[in-house]
Amino acid sequence: MDRYLEKLPSMVDAIKTIKEIIIANIVLIGQIPSPTFKEENRTRIFMERLAEAQIDECTTDEYGNPIGIIKGTSDTKPPIFVVAHLDTFFGEDVDHNFTVKKKTISGPGILDNSVGVGVMASLPEILRALDIGFKSDIVLVGDIQSIGKGNLRGIRNLLKTWPTPIRGAVCIEGGELGRLNYYSDGMRRCEITCSIPSTFRWIRKFRPNAILILHEVINQILKMRLPQKPRARVIIGKIAGGVDYGEIAQDATLGFEIQSDTDKMVKDIYRDIKDIKNGISNELEVELQLRTISSLNAARLKFNHPLVKSAAEVLKKLELKPVSVSSETELSIFLFHKIPAVTIGITKGANYHLENAVIKIEPIYKGIAQLIGILMAIDSGVCDEQ
Amino acid sequence: MNNSWLNRNTFHYAEFRDLERLVAEKKKKKISISLCLPTLNEEKTIAKEIVIMKSELMTRYPLLDEIVVVDSGSTDRTRKVAREYGADVYEAADILPQLGHFRGKGENLWKALYVTRGDIIVYLDADIKNIHHRFAYALVAPLLLYDGIKYCKAFYDRPIATGEKKMRSTGGGRVTELVIRPLFSLFFPDLTQIIQPLSGEYASFRNVLEKIPFPIGYGIETSMILDIYERWGLDVMAQVDLEKRVHRNQGIKALGKMAFVILNTFARRIEKQGFIKLNKPTYSEMIQYNLVKSQYQADIFKIEGVERPPMIEIPEYREKFNIH
Repeated sequence: MDRYLEKLPSMVDAIKTIKEIIIANIVLIGQIPSPTFKEENRTRIFMERLAEAQIDECTTDEYGNPIGIIKGTSDTKPPIFVVAHLDTFFGEDVDHNFTVKKKTISGPGILDNSVGVGVMASLPEILRALDIGFKSDIVLVGDIQSIGKGNLRGIRNLLKTWPTPIRGAVCIEGGELGRLNYYSDGMRRCEITCSIPSTFRWIRKFRPNAILILHEVINQILKMRLPQKPRARVIIGKIAGGVDYGEIAQDATLGFEIQSDTDKMVKDIYRDIKDIKNGISNELEVELQLRTISSLNAARLKFNHPLVKSAAEVLKKLELKPVSVSSETELSIFLFHKIPAVTIGITKGANYHLENAVIKIEPIYKGIAQLIGILMAIDSGVCDEQ
Repeated sequence: MNNSWLNRNTFHYAEFRDLERLVAEKKKKKISISLCLPTLNEEKTIAKEIVIMKSELMTRYPLLDEIVVVDSGSTDRTRKVAREYGADVYEAADILPQLGHFRGKGENLWKALYVTRGDIIVYLDADIKNIHHRFAYALVAPLLLYDGIKYCKAFYDRPIATGEKKMRSTGGGRVTELVIRPLFSLFFPDLTQIIQPLSGEYASFRNVLEKIPFPIGYGIETSMILDIYERWGLDVMAQVDLEKRVHRNQGIKALGKMAFVILNTFARRIEKQGFIKLNKPTYSEMIQYNLVKSQYQADIFKIEGVERPPMIEIPEYREKFNIH
């Protein structure tokens, strides 16, 4: 392992020599709008870029996930996966044209996750430039239907149908460089909607206000006693409702997420919130709908798992301080399938989910070296020992 | 007028996606190709144009031999950014300084002839937000693949980026439809087959470009078409559909100034070709009015109407390119 660790710092400069190809891939792919459930155009461009890079095999699975394969030298070693989700939070009507400056690239979706996808599409040429090969096949996946209501459908379907064992996986996200995620909390993402029928106007003097009703729901959620162990929390993340300043709101929606170390605790909290919803609905005679948008099972690697230890060594060798928090990404699906995996960030940036999101160019090269270092660790067998 | 040219010499960029074929043809014909980007305060878009062209048409497929930026004296970081991404950067005023300097796109394109080396020169505007390498390879392709074609021009849909970062799907082309097309219809009906005569993206052989005059400003696109048409005919021209091009929208007053310059360029040429005779000199000022605090104030735009002579007539150029 030390052998390739020593090479990592010099790799950063070598990667930089093909910066035009990396930046061009980030821009050409990232400028194609790719809202969840409408990733076809970006899928096509991503595959074109892989074909341009003369990747060994390029196809889509039955679900529509684009896949490229860099062939390894071994016929027996299972493949290693590199995954970056193709979908972004921005609609097709948003101007996706990026601005490239001396040190930055900016535009909607650049951090989440166009830079990750662009780097992945550049990987065949980067490995060729560095003259690096692997024993395992490297399977590059731009998974679709990942974020929000996509609920990681793309990667779930791919892993459900993939015919062979998988040696290990690296999930790549745009930011932040230095993250090293190896566990996922159990999670359930929900929406409560309150709709007051317009007939209320005529039969009641004091028409209920949908926003105030959800306000009461929030109050009762905040009063819940949550345990210290297992860790658990409810994040009130989104609220929307009403139409005008002087109008009593007829509709309102609350988005929240339940997170915990254990799936059981997520389930218990969900049940309690459902009771809150039913109670308020009954007392105030309004209709409240509780809907699950997405959910994930809790899963983790141990901190002393060889993949985690090796990945941390790689980051340290590149003078990056590993930061580990729970990650509700493709990682959890790999871990659920008992496939060792980590999530890493490629660069640093700001305005993560805004239209003026921006990334720094220079850290990308270190981010790529880190990815290659972790792939080398997996190829050397750190995931085979368990 | 028949529209046989439109059917015969109109292409779609997708016909030229086989870049290996273009590179092979270029090598076979021993042709070198220069990409020229005229700039004035384009720091927001210049890097992207250079990086994509360099990645796709130099590193991946060696179709371009050089990327040259000719700048009109930007006050932002255009030149610095362009250098950072590896383009050869010149200030127009520093090229052939003994011949003076005028500010304008046509001036940059004319001076680019002196500093570029290629047998083919591709000119692209530097404000293309959705730049893609098709903008260069699709313009070069007809010149490489069809022996009779000497000049190739782009046309496209023109969505406009509005201030709210949203895209409007139609717009632009107003000067074309209200000024150029009526003039072409009156004097050169064959040229109406050119879908977007004012597009800022075109490629041509050096041995064509060096033989025509260059107006220093907006009139360059019109004059180039008229002069090539007059000297070599319509069949040496081609046009390529590049599909979508996102550009900055211009206000009606800016378009008015553009139309004024184009009309001036056009008038000179139709007079030279004997269509009309102007018995008196025309004026050189475009006068527009702005309402300022309930008062109309004249906004006067003066055009110098300067045209650079064919570059081949410049002794320094003849010497540099060994033309005797």
